[in-house]
Amino acid sequence: MKSLTIAATNLRRFIRDRGNIFFVFIFPMLLVLVLGASFGGDFNARLAVVTEPGGDLADDLVTRLEAIETVNVVSVATEEAAVRGVERGELEAALFIPADYDESITAGTPVNVQFLSRSGQEGNSLRSNIESAITQQAVVLRAARFSESEGLATFTEALAVAGQAEANIGPVNVEVTALGEAFSLDLLGQFDSSAQTQLLLFVFLTSLAGSAALIQTRRLGVAKRMIATPTSVRDVLLGEGFGRFLVALVQGLFIMIGTWLIFGVDWGDPLLATLILLLFSLVGSGAAMLMGSLFSNDEQAGGMGVLFGLGLAALGGCMVPLQVFELISPGLYNVAHITPHAWGLEAFDSIVLSNGTIGDIAVFLAILAGYALVFYALAIWRLRVVLTR
Amino acid sequence: MAQPTLDCRGLRKVFGDLVAVDDVGFHIDAGETYGLLGPNGAGKTTSISMISGLLKRDGGSITVDGEEMTTINLAAKALIGLVPQDIAVYPDLTARENLVFFGKLYGMSGKALQSRVDEVLEIIGLADRAGDRSDDFSGGMKRRLNIGIGLLHKPNLLILDEPTVGVDPQSRNAILESVEQLSSAGMAVLYTTHYMEEAERLCDRVGIIDHGVIKAEGTRRELVQMVGEHDRIRLETTSGGLQSAVAALSELPSVVEAGAGDGLIELLVTEAGEHLTKILSIVTEAGVAVAGVDIDEPNLESVFLHLTGRALRD
Repeated sequence: MKSLTIAATNLRRFIRDRGNIFFVFIFPMLLVLVLGASFGGDFNARLAVVTEPGGDLADDLVTRLEAIETVNVVSVATEEAAVRGVERGELEAALFIPADYDESITAGTPVNVQFLSRSGQEGNSLRSNIESAITQQAVVLRAARFSESEGLATFTEALAVAGQAEANIGPVNVEVTALGEAFSLDLLGQFDSSAQTQLLLFVFLTSLAGSAALIQTRRLGVAKRMIATPTSVRDVLLGEGFGRFLVALVQGLFIMIGTWLIFGVDWGDPLLATLILLLFSLVGSGAAMLMGSLFSNDEQAGGMGVLFGLGLAALGGCMVPLQVFELISPGLYNVAHITPHAWGLEAFDSIVLSNGTIGDIAVFLAILAGYALVFYALAIWRLRVVLTR
Repeated sequence: MAQPTLDCRGLRKVFGDLVAVDDVGFHIDAGETYGLLGPNGAGKTTSISMISGLLKRDGGSITVDGEEMTTINLAAKALIGLVPQDIAVYPDLTARENLVFFGKLYGMSGKALQSRVDEVLEIIGLADRAGDRSDDFSGGMKRRLNIGIGLLHKPNLLILDEPTVGVDPQSRNAILESVEQLSSAGMAVLYTTHYMEEAERLCDRVGIIDHGVIKAEGTRRELVQMVGEHDRIRLETTSGGLQSAVAALSELPSVVEAGAGDGLIELLVTEAGEHLTKILSIVTEAGVAVAGVDIDEPNLESVFLHLTGRALRD
């Protein structure tokens, strides 16, 4: 009961500080929006195409490129503009179709197209897509050339017939089955991944800020005065922690509901998602109470809180996906699981990607509960030592 | 014999190599104000921290109304009201919110709490500022709020640790008056200060503490007598034979020492107030005209100086 009194007072003081409202509720949503828009899962590579207007075969090649789902074709007027765009990262690659593309093909002479891309996997992937489109066009061209060589029709007439024939041939679909765990970003919506990672990052960061509040309570002498009343050290710490836990929980729910309503983020089973959030908020508030009992200077604790908050978030997969760690080094992936963030993300992945049940995430929840228990126990022990020594 | 409200014996606290408090013991009865007088660093706050259950003691015993005080005995803590030296309130809460918050920690609730908060606001003179944040208060008002929190649950023992440090004379007087009223109402009060005049005004008994040890304890008069200090009477004269007057005064049993010079007669006596009439009568009979009388009674400052060899504010 006394813990609730202390928690309620903390909440009242927290809400009175208008700055908290921005950092707890508005800032995370803005970040989800920015990160989701920039790095969201629905990502299409931007390919600049530079060509002269009026060439039917060049236009046909562009149409084939536009038909590729993962490529956004951007028509660029000059080679210079395309090169500049690729250099600046505004475009992933550029394709230069020569002005004599149609003429050369019709004449049966070799023709070169130039492909320019940024280094990296994206460029290789785009190159394969372009080669595939050119190959498709080449099949039709060869058929037309064959008809012409056999004297059945002129090249132009044969090309029209081959084009119609291509349209009438059904596509061959390739069913892809991947073995092992899938790289999950592709399965997530544009904002899903950023919303989950930002949720965990901010809930933990906001919680850690509570350490400064506990230190301030100690520095003001209010903490000592509280234990001079018939109130135990445990109740004081649970009250301080519970206030911060409520702030973290409300912030987390706000992010979950807000991103669901505004960005359509899929959080999986809402009850399970709330359960993960609840336990993660407990972990965060427990860590804050431990820091608040270890440090005696709130500025020092605030600085360390940001450092720990961002550091653990980065290590735990809130900035770079855990699957990337796994690709780079299994050891790094294992180290990431020192953090509660990694377990929280695993739990979210399970309910969002695999429709996981409570049984599927029980281990993750138990680990998060373990973190909270250890943090709170250490904090109570430490605070008792600090206040009564 | 009635059980004292506070009974502490043989208190000891050591921080590393430093013995902060050593064999401190005293008791306080209901309605009595006990002063712990000593300079900064004498061990007053350490003693109070042990008595209020904030600090583990390394030795000795403490009981409040028969209940043993420890850092975890909440029943004993419910019997005391602590007013710490630092202003321990939330600056961003109003006076009323601070009082309600601590009232709940003392186990109060509902209408009883609201009613008591109103009473305390009247006692500390902040009823008209109840809705203002405490960081908008003057130093004196903050001190009064600090005291008000300690009074909320009508404790059997009120502990005030240097409650007037840094306050203006008006607020200081208001605080001292409040303490006098609480003591008159039957509350036992433990009051620490390094202001001699506060201890003399408020305290029925005083313990003089220095370097963690109680050097002496008793009423002001007992302490003065204990150290053999005497009242000093200075008579300013205009005419007459000073030597014959001094000779006559020296015969009085209450006069310990007598001397004259430059138109002044100086006497060291016991209980100056009681014997002044007799002294003036003898001087007049000796043909000396007295123009002025100055009596200097020994105070706790001089007692402290005598006991410790240093002044209270050193």
